[in-house]
Parts: sequence; structure tokens; C-alpha cells
Amino acid sequence: MSQSEAKDSGARDTAMVTITINGREVEADPSKPLIAACHAEGEEVPHYCYHPGLSPVGSCRICQVGVQQGQMPPRVMAACRTPVAEGMVVDTEAPKAHDARRECLEFLLKNHPLDCPICDKAGECTLQDYSFDEGQGEGRSVEPRRKLDKRKSLGDVIVLDQERCILCSRCVRFFEEVPETPQLCIGERGSHSVVETFMNRPLTGNYQGNLADICPVGALTLKEFRFQARVWNLHKVASTCAGCSRGCAVTTEVLRKHEVKRFRPRHEPAVNGYWMCDTGRFALEAPNREHRLCGGILRGGSGQAQPVDTRTALEVARDMLIVHGEALIVASPFLTVEEGRELLALGKTLGARPVFLSPEPNDLTDDLLHTGDPCPNRRGLSELGFDALPVEEVLETLPSYESALLVGERLIDMLGAKNLATLPTALRVVLLECHYVDSPSIDVAVGIPNHVEREGTWVNVDGHAGRIAIARPTPEGVWMATRTIDTLHELLTMSAPGADAPGSATPGAIPSTPGAEATLG
Amino acid sequence: MVIVKRKILSLWERLYLPEVLRGLSITFRKMFEPRVTRQYPEEGLPTDGVTRGQPRLVVKDDGNIACVSCGLCEAACPAYAITIDGQETDRFIEREPERFDIDMLRCILCGFCEEACPKDAIYMSNELELADYTREALAYDMEKLKRPASAMRERMDYVKKINDRW
Repeated sequence: MSQSEAKDSGARDTAMVTITINGREVEADPSKPLIAACHAEGEEVPHYCYHPGLSPVGSCRICQVGVQQGQMPPRVMAACRTPVAEGMVVDTEAPKAHDARRECLEFLLKNHPLDCPICDKAGECTLQDYSFDEGQGEGRSVEPRRKLDKRKSLGDVIVLDQERCILCSRCVRFFEEVPETPQLCIGERGSHSVVETFMNRPLTGNYQGNLADICPVGALTLKEFRFQARVWNLHKVASTCAGCSRGCAVTTEVLRKHEVKRFRPRHEPAVNGYWMCDTGRFALEAPNREHRLCGGILRGGSGQAQPVDTRTALEVARDMLIVHGEALIVASPFLTVEEGRELLALGKTLGARPVFLSPEPNDLTDDLLHTGDPCPNRRGLSELGFDALPVEEVLETLPSYESALLVGERLIDMLGAKNLATLPTALRVVLLECHYVDSPSIDVAVGIPNHVEREGTWVNVDGHAGRIAIARPTPEGVWMATRTIDTLHELLTMSAPGADAPGSATPGAIPSTPGAEATLG
Repeated sequence: MVIVKRKILSLWERLYLPEVLRGLSITFRKMFEPRVTRQYPEEGLPTDGVTRGQPRLVVKDDGNIACVSCGLCEAACPAYAITIDGQETDRFIEREPERFDIDMLRCILCGFCEEACPKDAIYMSNELELADYTREALAYDMEKLKRPASAMRERMDYVKKINDRW
């Protein structure tokens, strides 16, 4: 990211030049190649080796366009290696450019296997797209295709299919330029060239997953996603990564409204550029975890967990929080700013101290993206007025309060189910979580959606606001987190503290008519 | 208002018996001709390559399913009857279906899946009957859909013949 930032800042200093693209005069940035100007203008120039986040090399030659400069006759040039110059006249649809691109495509397809039915890239493959537009129906070559290793493992994350590779060298440049740990190279010569690691060592580092995104064909694929889904079946929603406080812009991709299949980076120059780390990319376990808490669960005098509907559970929670005056509100760092604001208003009504859980930083931090801080909305919640409290301190402080309101996903994970079970029984605990753990100390639990089912704002470590969006429907019986908090707040304001609220004489008592639809799914 | 005039019958017609005998002669003549009706449930319908029955999956002669779970039939299906999940195999063709469901109650027998298939793995078979007691029983899974290539040969040859015209 530091590099792309440097490029961006350099771009602002240089003067813009005027060029003509397909008959339109446009302002272009001379620090960027011609292809960037064409793309900015909305003209489609095919490209395989060019990537806006990497240095151009011009190895695939598919981006050739017609260029006229000065008194010279128009000629065909590779747009990714041609700097923009004043008075340049560009024709991306010149017949000669089309011919040149078609010929390049034929050579690229010469050794490319017809694997589309089994290839994970099919549907988002630019070689496939451009072959569909301009390719020939049949190959003219009489020579057999290259036979190479079709499933060469490159470490724990990536599988290489050497036959599919078109040697664009994006992956090689990625390791050289982004994490700056060169690991791949193009070995052998001529038609024997293959992408390989130095000494066949497995790839290392936390940014290997990006290779599968930048590979223009299906040569580098993720082991995790291999044959898991066809890309056109994935429902894609622009969202924000929950992995750390960097809050990389991601696309959440969900199969059949049910399973989150992958996170992919989305271009966001202020935050993550084009990349994301593997920790965030493969954080699929938490959003896909089963046995969700749907509706509410009460634990009355009998000590048995009893499922009820959300509203009943919230009414019992209200009674508890009113009777047991001194309360601590513990928010999860996954709470959005909007939910934090609602919770803060609730805390004001209750007179409770709002804190958010701040787990220990992990050792995944690096210079590129990962901050090592597992709280995606630390800054947002801090600026709202929540105090950051480490896990141990929360567990130490909790017994000194009469009641506690724990709100947000993964609180059970972070606090530890065992630690929750050892809380004193005098402490009344109301838990708003995605999952439930059968613990005698939790008096009321209410299900809320997790971060792929909610919408809202997370503020990242630099103060950049990232939206999280609804990628799949919430489980049945689960209310939006803002609605849950809002309803609890409303119930609290309706019966002012100290007044004889209904049911306040028997806190924690289970009402005689629990909702029938609530289940622990 | 339409006034229908009663036909005035001739003497021959009013005799009654000659017309009865004429009718009976037809009955007796047809009795010795080949029958055109079919005793349907016991006697099946004639089928050939043109028959577009229910879709079935081809199992190749080596015992492996021909489908590579590319998902094109799923995408082509206008009735959303097909659901496929893929998995990895150790064979040369690395991909095979883990799950291949066709909801026969949704299937409209249009044959788009057969047309979309790049691997000659799904064909409209000559199986026409579809009846069961529950809806669930008619959501067929892969085991219910598999047929050996020999059973589908006639249709495969017919489709090839049609495709070769282009």
C-alpha cells in the first residue's frame, strides 16, 4: 500500500496532459500508463499482465491500441508500457489494433487447455471473456499443447496449474512489489517457461491469497475455494473485513443465501489498495458457524434454559436491569457505530458504564495491512465514548456490578465460556450474542445477526469509515441488532427506574406464556 | 334463433335393419384388423432418440460419472430445478459432483441442460413416467439420476447427429 500511496502522491505533483481517446479530448496523468487513461475514460482495453497496483511489464501484448504521436503515422502500441504524452491521439478500436490483439490472443490460447468446465476462474476469467469477444472458434495449431503439472501445490494456500498459466508474471511482480518478499520466478526458457518458487519451496507470508485474485486465468487458485462454488452463483456484496482494525474494503460472496464462500479485496485507495491479508480472507469460520441463537433464552429460578421469543426475553431483561441498578455495558468490538450509539443512549437511561471489550493484540501485525488488533471498530467505539477494557479487566470488574449487559458477536469467544460460567450468581447477565453457551451465569440471552447479516459503519484505525452490508438474510426469529437494542431502550424508558414495573418483584421469572416460535438453532 | 329442420328419411332408412347391418359390418371388419389402441400401463410407449424424457446423468464405461459439475446446466435451467456442488477427485479430470439434485417437479423437460452440457454428461432419457407419493421422493439425487452410457446411447447418437448439422 505504501507504494501505491507514493505513486498517488507523485501523480498529484505532475501536470496533467491533454490527449485524445477515441475522438474525445481528455486530461490524462503522465505518471500513469496509457491504459490507465483509457480505463479512466471508460474504454475497454483488454489486459492480462497489466494490473493497476503493480508495475507494467508489457509481456502479454494484449493491450495494443492505435496511437498517433506528432507527425508519425498511427501505429499499434502496447498501452500498458506507453507513457501518456501531450497531443497523443489514441484509437482503441483501430482495425490494426484489433488484428494485433486477435493474433496475441491466438498465441496465448495456443497452450491454454480447454479447462473452462472444471476451472474455478470460469465466469470471472478475462482470457475467457476476451476469447468470447474476439477469439477464434477453433485453434489452427497442429502441434499438441504443453503437458505440465496441473496441480502443483505452492504451500498451504495456493495451487498452481502450470498448463493454464499464460506467463503474465503478475504473481511474480506481486511478491516483489507488494509484500516485498520475492518468492516466485519464471523458470526455464522459451516455450518451456513455467512459474515456480525458488528451489520449489512453499510460499510463505500472509498475502498469498491475493495471487488467486490477480491471476487473470485459473492458474493460481485457492485451496480453500477450490471447486467449492461457481462464481456466477455467488451473491456479491460490498462490505468491510472484520479481521483487524485496518478494515479493508472487501466483497462478501455468499452461496445460495446461506454460506459465505469467500472474501475478496475491493479497491479502496485510502485503506487497502487492491490487496487484503490471508487472515481476513479466510476468516470464514465465524460467519458460517452453525447453532445460531434464534430468538431469546431465559434461565429462570429452575435453572433450565427455556427458549422464548425476542420480545419476551427483552421484557425480562428490562425487569432485571431495572431492579439491579448498577450495571456495566460490555460491547463487542464488532459493534457498528450505529449500534454503539443506540447502546450508549440505553446506557445513559440506565446510568450504566459503557465499555467495549479489547482483546490482546495478536502477532500477525505487519507493515502492509494487518494491524494486529482484532477489533474492527475500536476507533468508532472509542470516539463514541466507550472505554476500552481488556478481557481480564472486564472479568475482574464484572463481579463488582449488580448486572451486566453484554452486546455483540464473538463475546463468548473473547471472554471465554469457562470464565463466564465462573461469574457470581448474584450478577445478572443479559447477553445479546449470535451464539449461546449453556452457562448458569447467563440469565437472558437474545440472538442478534452477525457481521455478514447486519449493516452499519466501522471506523478503521486511520479514521476511515467502512460500511458493512447485509450479504445474506438473518436467521428466522432474529432481529436486527439496532432494533433489539432500541426495543430494550424503549422498554426501559417506559418504566422509569424506581417505579413499580410489572414483574419487577420477581426478577428473572419466566413469564407464563413464552413465545412458541423461538428456538435454539 | 336457428330452426333445425328434421331430415325426411327415405324408405330404406326407415326400414332400420339395413343400417344396423351396415354398422355391424364395420364392427366385424375392424375386429380382424391390427389394433391401434395401447394397453398403456402394461404396454409402454414406443421411444427412440427423438424422445425427450426426464434428464439423466451419464456414467461412463469406466464407471465414473461424466459430469464435472461445471454448473452450466444449473445456469441454463429456466425452472431452477438443478442444484450442484462440486468436489475434488484424484482422477485426471479433477472435478466431480458431490451433490447433483434435480427437482423433477420443477423440471419442465425443456432439454436446455442437455444443450448446455460441455461434457456430454446429461441427456434427456427415454424415461417418461413420473409418479410418487411425496414431493420429497421426486427431488432426485445423483444416485437416482445415474444411468450407464449404454442405456442412453440412442439419444446420444441422435443429439450428435443433430449437432453435426451445424
